[in-house]
This record gives sequence, structure tokens and C-alpha cells, in this order.
Amino acid sequence: MPAEAVRMEGIVKTFPGVLANAGVDFSLSWGEVHGLLGENGAGKTVLMSILYGLYQPDSGRIFVRGKETRIKSPHVAIELGIGMVHQHFMLVPRLTVAENIAVGWEPTRGPLFDRRAMVKKIKALVDQYGLAVDPTARVEELSVGEQQRVEILKALYRGAEVLILDEPTAVLAEQEVEALFDTIRTLKEQGKAVVFITHKLHEALEICDRITVLRKGKNVGTLPASEATEEQLAELMVGREVVFTIHPEPVESEGRVLLQVESLSAQDDRGVLAVREVSLEVHDHEILGIAGVQGNGQKELVEVICGLRRPTGGRVLVGDAEVTGQSPRRLGARGLVHIPEDRHLRGLILTFSVEENSILGMHRDSPFAVGPWIQSKRAISIHARKLVEQFSVSVPTLSAPARTLSGGNQQRLILARELTRGPQAVVAMQPTRGLDVGGMEFVWEQFLKMRKEGVGILLVSMDLDEVMMLSDRIAVMYQGKIVGVFQRGEAEKRKLGLLMLGGQGEVA
Amino acid sequence: MEIISLNLFISALRLATPIALVALGETYSERAGVINVGVEGMALAGALSCAIVAYFSGSPVLALIAAVAVGAALGALHAIWSVYLRADHVVSGAAINLLVMGFALFLTRVIWGWRGTSPSAPTMNAWILVGVGLFLIALSQIYIFRTPWGLRLRVVGEHPRAADTAGINVYRTRLIYTVLNGALCGLAGAFLFNNLGRFTDGMVGGRGFIGIAAMVVGNYRPLPALLAAYLFGFVDALQMRLQEYIPSQVSLMLPYILTVIVLAGFLGRAQVPKALGKPYVKEQG
Amino acid sequence: MKWLKDMGPVVGAILLALAVGAIVTVATGYSVAAVFRELVRGAFGGTYQFAQTLTQATPILFTSLSFLIAFRCGLFNIGAEGQLYLGAFAAAWAGFTFRLPPVLHTVVCLLFGAVFGGIWGLIPGWLRAKRGANEFVTTMMLSYVAIYLTSWLVAPGGPYHGTQWANQTVRIATSAQFPRLMHGAQLSWGIVVGVLIAFIVWYLLFRTPRGYELRAVGQNPLAAEYGGINVARNMILALTLAGALAGLGGAAEILGTHRRFIENFSPGYGWDGIAGGLIARAHPIAAIFAAVLMGALRAGGMAIDRAGVAPADLAAVIQGLVIFFVVAPELIKYFRRLVSRRAKLGDN
Repeated sequence: MPAEAVRMEGIVKTFPGVLANAGVDFSLSWGEVHGLLGENGAGKTVLMSILYGLYQPDSGRIFVRGKETRIKSPHVAIELGIGMVHQHFMLVPRLTVAENIAVGWEPTRGPLFDRRAMVKKIKALVDQYGLAVDPTARVEELSVGEQQRVEILKALYRGAEVLILDEPTAVLAEQEVEALFDTIRTLKEQGKAVVFITHKLHEALEICDRITVLRKGKNVGTLPASEATEEQLAELMVGREVVFTIHPEPVESEGRVLLQVESLSAQDDRGVLAVREVSLEVHDHEILGIAGVQGNGQKELVEVICGLRRPTGGRVLVGDAEVTGQSPRRLGARGLVHIPEDRHLRGLILTFSVEENSILGMHRDSPFAVGPWIQSKRAISIHARKLVEQFSVSVPTLSAPARTLSGGNQQRLILARELTRGPQAVVAMQPTRGLDVGGMEFVWEQFLKMRKEGVGILLVSMDLDEVMMLSDRIAVMYQGKIVGVFQRGEAEKRKLGLLMLGGQGEVA
Repeated sequence: MEIISLNLFISALRLATPIALVALGETYSERAGVINVGVEGMALAGALSCAIVAYFSGSPVLALIAAVAVGAALGALHAIWSVYLRADHVVSGAAINLLVMGFALFLTRVIWGWRGTSPSAPTMNAWILVGVGLFLIALSQIYIFRTPWGLRLRVVGEHPRAADTAGINVYRTRLIYTVLNGALCGLAGAFLFNNLGRFTDGMVGGRGFIGIAAMVVGNYRPLPALLAAYLFGFVDALQMRLQEYIPSQVSLMLPYILTVIVLAGFLGRAQVPKALGKPYVKEQG
Repeated sequence: MKWLKDMGPVVGAILLALAVGAIVTVATGYSVAAVFRELVRGAFGGTYQFAQTLTQATPILFTSLSFLIAFRCGLFNIGAEGQLYLGAFAAAWAGFTFRLPPVLHTVVCLLFGAVFGGIWGLIPGWLRAKRGANEFVTTMMLSYVAIYLTSWLVAPGGPYHGTQWANQTVRIATSAQFPRLMHGAQLSWGIVVGVLIAFIVWYLLFRTPRGYELRAVGQNPLAAEYGGINVARNMILALTLAGALAGLGGAAEILGTHRRFIENFSPGYGWDGIAGGLIARAHPIAAIFAAVLMGALRAGGMAIDRAGVAPADLAAVIQGLVIFFVVAPELIKYFRRLVSRRAKLGDN
């Protein structure tokens, strides 16, 4: 068997308006962990999706085990022994682990699905690779880390010899990352080939044997990890000297509390208590970061504060005024704005024009409206133009639908809309998700600018690096409770990671 | 009181049959992710086909096959429109209803010269179809929850991308189950024809939509949906007997009012398949 | 105007539907030439014919607006037929019960129509907003209820059975009636009111904050909620307005055309409204043209029938085909690709 597991030559792939892969070469050897590094939008996921048969390349060749092949669908990829663990899990929450893993390759007894045989097979895999998970549990009951293990088991069950992992650490805490790396090393020892897609330099250097860097759809270099440095990789990734870390200047707080949450409790969509008596304060000139693994109540906490969910107990105050349960419009009037986690779902109405989106949340207020029956198109137009100019939002026209904007520009539009309302306090959830470095830097700059002007910012992010970099204080949230609050520099990553996973720490 | 009798409960089962068949068909297509509100038109088309073929061939069995085939064909049409051409599911279904309504009035006039009705034609014993229906429902309960194909069906409706990455052809799955939906509606139409002995353009009378309601109440499971359909059948049978005592129009209203009340009380907590109604686009940038 | 460009696919769909309609005509043994000649003549052949078209178009305009205002909020109002009947009856009742000066009487009747139709939209609206009850089914069910209810009201033995020879009420007062626009035809001021209402609906949807909120809920309820919009209230508003519009349509029919409530007076105007709303792609001004198209098909259909050329329902078949082709957005794209591929081959 040739040492080369996979070779991709000259892969070109375009989507409407975007050249995702511009003639990429990529090779993967057996027993190797090959990192695919690049910022968001560089084309890493697209390239691997082509290998997995989800997309068809416009041109280029693919060789698997030395033989040229066309991978027309995931089914073909799986038959070739290629498996992929996606960033957003391909799991059905309502079904069990066994059902999720089995689908498509179900063991049968006559016409019926042989559940018992399936559970046995899974247990065998669990033992072989050390990926502990209960086959009879429903996926929606599992933690994010456990769900990822199910995804890996799924690929292995289907006979994967080549395993593609797409940003696997994005949803994990420090210790879970280590467990994942152990698993990857086990796979390597067993002769499998692993592609590790990431935008985190230090991870790539830690676990990979070789690293390929993609930038704007091109392969800009493949080097052995032992010879590479973070600076080198960063420069390859972005093509210029990268400001990957920002050092916010110290700013004096006047000690006013702009946003306060007292003993707040709330349930999630399934009626389970997700926020348990959380108390927090955000002061002026301050960024309070909330660190935590996804699914520990952050989403529900933010929704309660921003008027999108009713709490079961506790209070929310903006300034001195109690605003518990008030609508987002009232909160906006009181000086609290919200940068939502998912700009497509919540932040924008994609079919509405840029103009119409620029007043979302303010559409009933003057100067845009006089009562519910009169609207001033002119005022809206002027406002939209102002936002677009001030925040350098690139738009075809002001009346173009918001979905024609790139992700980065959409986020700029949302920031422009919310931050120019002159708020006292800003609640931002995952504000840089899916943005390229330029977009991320822009967001960080805006936040730091607001902080300097005296605004209080509550920053919720699953990216611990981002939280640690920007926050004056960090609170760790685990299972709906705040399990620790630290000043900048007081706690290091390991300790925070431990708390995020429910390890030792005092309850604040 | 002579209204409540064994006869009432037996009638209820008979009247429940078309509703239950539609509910079963809709369960299949919605579990695959396709909403089909064209069930009303598909049942009507089935009934009409049954009448036409029975009239001209004299064979109720041939008529039955025709009904199922026409229903399946309309199901395929809806599938093409909603799955491949990505029309809005509800709009496509509504368009089919309107299309069938127009055709029904036109064809009855062309063939028999009467607008919207047919003369009587040879029928089979409607109870055969009741039996077929019950059998299919029981079979489906096993199929959906205990076989591999049932598992794949459920995955397609909950998370089509996951199904895709498992190598399941999402488009084809949706097509197949929507065609099945249409076929079952055609069967329901055949039942209505054999129950009445002729075709009238009002003979479905909203039962397609009531079938959808029964499916929702049954939480997308064949056997509970059958129970819900039985409830509606019961009220239908009841109102027929009540017509001696209260004005017929008031009596006729009862099944519809019941449906509204049931849907209102249900609080929308049904476990709707997550990907229901959303067109699946294979290549997404 | 962007919507002119959007009309392209609609025109294409209409042509396609006419083509398939022609096939159906031939297949059932009728003459395509005769059918189309009588169709066009019956709809547009003269002042009287065009007046007929507009008469048929009037209630359809209201029901189209009814469907599309709900659609803009992401909801399906299928119950326009029943709302139409209720509004019609309410207007008729106000017409023969009250004694009022002329124009005022008409306005009061219209209000009654709107209010009662509105109630019939409010119910499913509330059920959907507060209970998650599928409005497609509930509006459909309530439609049956309304039709049976009004049927009972004018049946022999019913409280408003007004004449012995038919199931209908007594005539409404002259002061309530819409004056006719033309001597010898049924066309009344109803059409003027309809066009006016269409413009009002347009203004409401696109030039007011209320309309902004309604459309936002229809496009993205989560973002609307985030923007401080009360999703439930807007859903209820949308369906109530939808019911009111259909009720107004029923009222207009009574006040302008029949001058009394007659059982089964509607040959399916509610359904035509769904078709009209879809063809107009939910745009209120386009609905005017869509309603005229539907009215033309109805009037033309009647002419085909009268001339003995083919059954009137052939027009209904064509109408069904038009909707069917209009609703598939990808169909046009598919044809474009087909054409361009042929062109590429042709170049070689």
C-alpha cells in the first residue's frame, strides 16, 4: 500500500460570488496527523467537504490509495474509508447514540433493526479507542464533548481509515481537548490518517506532524510542524503581521454598575433549569467576560437579560432601573443593546434591505416613525447611510437585501446598528464567530472603543482565548451557575478550563 | 337513547378510515420532511378516478388500482415541485387542491354532462378497504420504529444533512414517501367512492385536512393517529344520527368544530420533525 | 420598479398554463381555437364583457388581499370562503335591518362585513398565536362552519329565510346598495372600493411601522422578536385583517351584485383569492391585476359555456394550471438553464 493515503491536485471550487478553493494541492500520508490551518473563510472546510463527497470540485483530481477517483457523494467517500466529523454535528438529538451511529449501515435480524447487535458493536469500538459513551442514551442528553465522541465513533464504525476533524476543539474545554488529542494519537498509532482542521496555531503545532496553510483559497505552504513557529504560521495565514493578541490599556472605572443580574434563574426550551441563581455586575469602562463550554446556560442567561426569555426568578437591572421581563425595545430605550449569537437567525432579516435592517428594534421610534401608521423613509435612508459609512460596511446598494452581504459585513451592520444607539451596556454573544481575522479585529476594536468611552460590556464567548484577551474580569459558568470570577491575569487557562468542566473552584 | 348503539361505533370505524389513511400518508411524508396539504385534492382525484374507471370498466378492483395510481402520480407531482423545484410546500399543496377541484368539475361535465357528480358505478365492499387500512397502519407502526428504513426515514426528516452524510439520498427519500402519501390519499378517495357509490365534488369534505389534524394529535405515530381519526369518525357518525333532532347544517358543523377544539387544546407540543417544510439544498456555500 | 421584473416568471407561468390548457382542450375533444376565441371575447370583447370581468374580479380582489396579507406574516388563510360568507350575511343583515341615509348605510354594512369576517379571522389567529394550532387547518374548518351556519340561517325554517322560492334573505334597503356603474351590467362601486382597499393594504404593508412589523414576523420571527416585535400580536392582527378583507369582499358582493344574501352565492371566490394572492406574489397592487385575470377566466369561462363550445370549468382548469406553474420558482431557472445549454451546444 503506498504511503500516501490521499492526494488532491489542483482543486478548484467556486460558489456564487466566492472562489473557495483556487487550485489547491494537498497530500496526506498514513499514520500522519496533518493540520489544515487557515482563518475563517480560507477554504479548509470546503476542501475537506470535497474529499468527503459533499461538494463536487469544478476541476482538479483526487487520488485515494494511489488510485484516481471521483467522490460523488459521502456514500462513496465512506466506501473509500474516508470519514468526517463536522463542526456542527450531524446528529439527530431525539434518537439514541446507537441509532445515530447505525443509520445507513444498520445490523438487521430479518426485516427488523437489530438493536442489541448494534450496542455490542459500539461497545467493542468504545473499548478499542477509549471513547466512552452510552449507546442507549439519547444524543440530546449528552454533553458536547460526548457528542463529539459519538461522531468519531460513527466514522470509525463506518470503517474510516482517513478521518477528517473539522475544528474539533471549538466546542471543547481545555481538558477535553487533551482527551481528544489522546484519541488522535491512538488513531495515529493504529495507522490511520487524520486531517485536523483548525484556526488555532498552538493546537496545530501541538498535535500535527505536518501543517498546510490555506489563505483565501490557496495553499500557501506545507511544512513539518517541528520546523514551524507560531509567527511563521500566522504570517502565512494572514499574509501580514498579525495582531492576534490585543492588549487592552487599563481604564479606570468610576464604580457605577451599569448592568446587574440578581439571583437570576431560567429554564431552557425543554423546561429544564438552565440558569441557577446567577448574580453578576457589569461596571462602567469594563468588559466582563463569561467563559464556559457551550450548553451551560449562557444562551438562556443572555436571552433573559435581553428580554427574549422569561426568568423563573431573580431580577435584571440596567442602571438603577429594574427591567426584568421587559421587551427588547424597552431595553433598547433604557440603554441596553444585544449583539446576538447568530446573525442570520436573530440579528438580521436576510430578505429585508440594508435600510430596513438598519432600524430593526428602533422602527417604531422617532425619527423613523410617528405612531404606528406613519413611517419616514427619508429618515431611515439617512440613518442607513450613516451606519454604512461609519462602520465601513460594504454593500451593493442600501436597498440590497441583507443576505447579499458577506458574513463580516453583516456583523458590521449589526454592530453599527446597535453600537450607535449610544448604549450604556452591551451584551454580546459569540460576536466573532465565523469571521476572518480582519473581521475579528474590527469587532474587538469597537468593543475596546466603547469600553474606553465608559460603556459596560458583557461578552459571552466559547472562545476562551478571546474572553481572556478582552475581559477585565472573567466569570466562569458551569451548569447554570457562576463557579468563579477573576480579575484579568488572576487565573490561567488551565484553571479556567478546569472550572469550565466542573472541577474545583468556589461558587461565586 | 337509540343514538348510542353498537352500530354507532362500527359506523365510526368506517367513517374514520379515510381520515386515518390520510393521516398515515401524511405521517410518512412529514416524517421525511415534506408537508403535503394537497391531501384533500389527492383524495378527491382518487375518488374521481375510481368512479371513472369503475363506470367504464365495470371492475371495482381496476378502479381501486387507478385511484391509488392517480394519487401516487399527484404525490410525485407535489414532490417534484417541493423537493426538486423548491416551491413552498404548503403553496404547492394548495395549488394541487385547486388544480384537482377544477379538473373534477370539468371532467364530470365532459364525461357525463353533470357538473361535479357522477352516476353510480360498480363498487366493492367498503369494509375491505377498512381492513386494508387497518393492516397498513399496523404495518407502518412497525416499519417506522423498528426497521432500518424507518430509521432512515426519521433521520431524513430530523436532520437531512446528517442523512446525506450517512449516504442516504435525501431527495429520493422525500420523493418516495410523498408518492406513498399520495397513494394512500388515493386509497382514501377510493374508500369514499365505494362508500357512497358515486362521485360528488364535495365528497372529501375537508377530511383531508382533518386527517392532517389527526396526524398532529397522534404525534406523527400511526397507531395514535388512528385513535385520533376514530374520534373524528365517531363525531361524524354521531352527527348523522343527530340530524333527526337538530338542523342538518348545525349537525354537519360538529366534526369541524371538534377539529378546531382539538387542535386548540393540543398546545402545539407535538414532536414535529425538525426539518419539516425546509427545502434541502445539497450544495451549500 | 422591481416587481415588474418579478412579473416575468408569472407571465411565463401563464403562457405555460395556457399551453397545457390547450392540450387538455384538445384531449377532451374541444376546439382550441373556439375555446380561446370565446374565452378572450367573453372577457374582453366589449364594454359589457369587460364589465362582467370586473364584476367577477371584485370579490376576488378582496379575497386575494385577504390571502396575501396573512401570507406576508407567514400565515396561510385558507378560510376566505367562509369569512366571505359571514361578512356577506352580516352586511345583508345590516342592509335590511337598519334605516339610515344612503352612503352612511352602505358604510355601516361594509363595516359589519369587515367586523364579522374579522372575527372569523381572529379566532384562528389567536389559536395559532397562543396555542400553536395550525392555521391552515383551523381556517379551513371554520370555513365549513361559516358556510353551514349561513346556510342554516336562510334555510326553510331558519330565522332569516326571506323568500319562499329560494334560500335567501329579503332584499336590502336601497340606501345600502352600491350604485351600478353601468346600465345593464352588474358592475358596481364595489370594484372602486376594492382598488382603493388594495392601495390601502399596500400602504399599510410597506409604508407603516405596523406593516414593517408584520412583514418582519413573516420573514423571520426570531429576528422580529429580537427587534422587540410582538410576534403573537402580529399573527393575530394579520389573520384578523385577512378575515376582515374577505368579509368586506362578501359585503361588496351583496351590496353591489345580489342585493340580498343568497345561499351558495359564491362560486368559489375564496379559492380564487388564494390563486390570486399566489399569482400576485403577495403584492397588493399586483393583486388587482391578478384579480382581473381571475375574473377574466371566470367571465370567459361562462362565455365558453354559453356558446356551447366547452364547459365553463375549463377556465377553472386553466386557473389551476396557472397557479401550479407560478409557484415553482426554480422552474423558470431550470428553463433558463435549459435554454442556455442549448445555446452553448448550438455555438459548437
